[in-house]
Amino acid sequence: MRETWVIGAASNRFGKMKESGREAATEVGLAAIESAGIEPRQIGHTFVANAFGVAEHQAHVGPLINTGLGIPEVPSVTVESACSSSSAALHEAYVHVAGGFCDFALVVGAEKLSHLDTLAATSYFAIGADYPFEAKNGATFPGLYATLANVYQHTYRTTPEMFGSIAVKNHANAALNPHAHFQKAITMETYLGSPMIASPLRLYDCCPFSDGAAAVVVAAKEAVPHPVREPLVVRASARAGSIADMHDRPDLLGLPAARAAGAAAFRQAKMGPEDIDFAEVHDCFTIAEALALEDLGFFPKGAAARASLDGATARDGKFPVNPSGGLKAKGHPVSATGASQVVEIFEQFNGLAGGRSVPHAEVALAHNVGATGGSCSVHIFSRR
Amino acid sequence: MLRAHLLPSLDRADVSKGGITRTEELPHATHSIVEYVHGYEEDRTLRGFRSKKCGFVTATWSLRCPRCGEKDLTEVALSGTGKVAAYTVQTVPSDEFLNEAPYAYVVVDLEEGGRITGWMPEVRAEKDLAIGDQVHFVASYKPGVQFAKGGT
Repeated sequence: MRETWVIGAASNRFGKMKESGREAATEVGLAAIESAGIEPRQIGHTFVANAFGVAEHQAHVGPLINTGLGIPEVPSVTVESACSSSSAALHEAYVHVAGGFCDFALVVGAEKLSHLDTLAATSYFAIGADYPFEAKNGATFPGLYATLANVYQHTYRTTPEMFGSIAVKNHANAALNPHAHFQKAITMETYLGSPMIASPLRLYDCCPFSDGAAAVVVAAKEAVPHPVREPLVVRASARAGSIADMHDRPDLLGLPAARAAGAAAFRQAKMGPEDIDFAEVHDCFTIAEALALEDLGFFPKGAAARASLDGATARDGKFPVNPSGGLKAKGHPVSATGASQVVEIFEQFNGLAGGRSVPHAEVALAHNVGATGGSCSVHIFSRR
Repeated sequence: MLRAHLLPSLDRADVSKGGITRTEELPHATHSIVEYVHGYEEDRTLRGFRSKKCGFVTATWSLRCPRCGEKDLTEVALSGTGKVAAYTVQTVPSDEFLNEAPYAYVVVDLEEGGRITGWMPEVRAEKDLAIGDQVHFVASYKPGVQFAKGGT
């Protein structure tokens, strides 16, 4: 396998896009290619994520993107893995490039749902779970994560402030991120006063419905003798699955796919949690950030929400988590999220993260979950 | 024109050896998803299956045991009585439950083992239910497995 890098990255501002997912994907795709200092014709394969493209009456969006980039002859494929679609696309690009099938690959994820009302968007999200056995029995997407929060709270006797501290921290980080949907800090009072969506999850426990697009360029080291940016060396690209139905898993205190993908990534990188300087984790709900940090071994079981309240995961804490603001506050345009986590790490390593910079970071991890954990991707990146 | 004797015989197709298989020869689950839904909507019964190897019981749909991979799965009639393993009271519903919110979505540990999910219209606030509470399956006026508080 060849050493593989991420050499370019771009994101638009998450929130509400005027343009279609296809237009946004092409725009960030070209921006990522230009940031890498290469030409579109050097791309050997495009890996696209656009899980809810059907909500825009568009499938097979890859050839449209490549046509827009002036490279219609380049092959493309759409990778669907719910909320982990673009990290799954990144994994496929890594396999292609590391395996020698092409030297340069474009990974682009885009989503547009803002033209739907909350009810329609909630219904789209629910079909990422097991429709007949979960959604049809009344579960919404927040409801499924709420059952995890319910069990966590019952088992570890947590307080609402512990979950609230995750929301407050991620909003504070997003306030410094020009890509973020919510560029506004919130207080604990705002969190505690927000309405219940699916008990014990309040409105400010939940990520927003966001539009957005993000892209990265993956390249073989040997094809880039003079990188124009500080490349991210891909030290691990791992994925795992688990029983799709949340209730049929052995326990509700974590996601088995995250544990497995994390363990596989640490094996690949020959590293452990102690080697990681900061992480972008999949905090679609505050409970998801706490579980991610425990599943990946950064905190003991039952300790992550408490540690968050103590400030351990803040930008200046002992282990910064989601300096971008995370899904919670940067926003969660489903298929753009995985690539967007890598954009954040790219900006951090290239000194482009401004006020949210994590000082002296050498190694970072990205953790991206598909729906309720049927899929999970974990990538580890280091400087050269 | 294709000559019949050059085509593989559909009659002699063998699933275990691969090759062309007729629909009725494909592996089947103990019950289809449609049969499962018909069961709770029309017959007021809950279907599930048990793995011969690990004993895992589930009410979902699978050809092999999701836990251990066992192929010998036995259809079991589920009592529908058990204890709440996890729950949430949802105030923002999906479109099919539009007029029901708030209501609880529950994960229930069945008496005979295994877990099943459902909804409870009578639970309208977090304090109305607790982990460990006894619940039972009831006939519903709308699609979805419905539970009520208490034993049968």
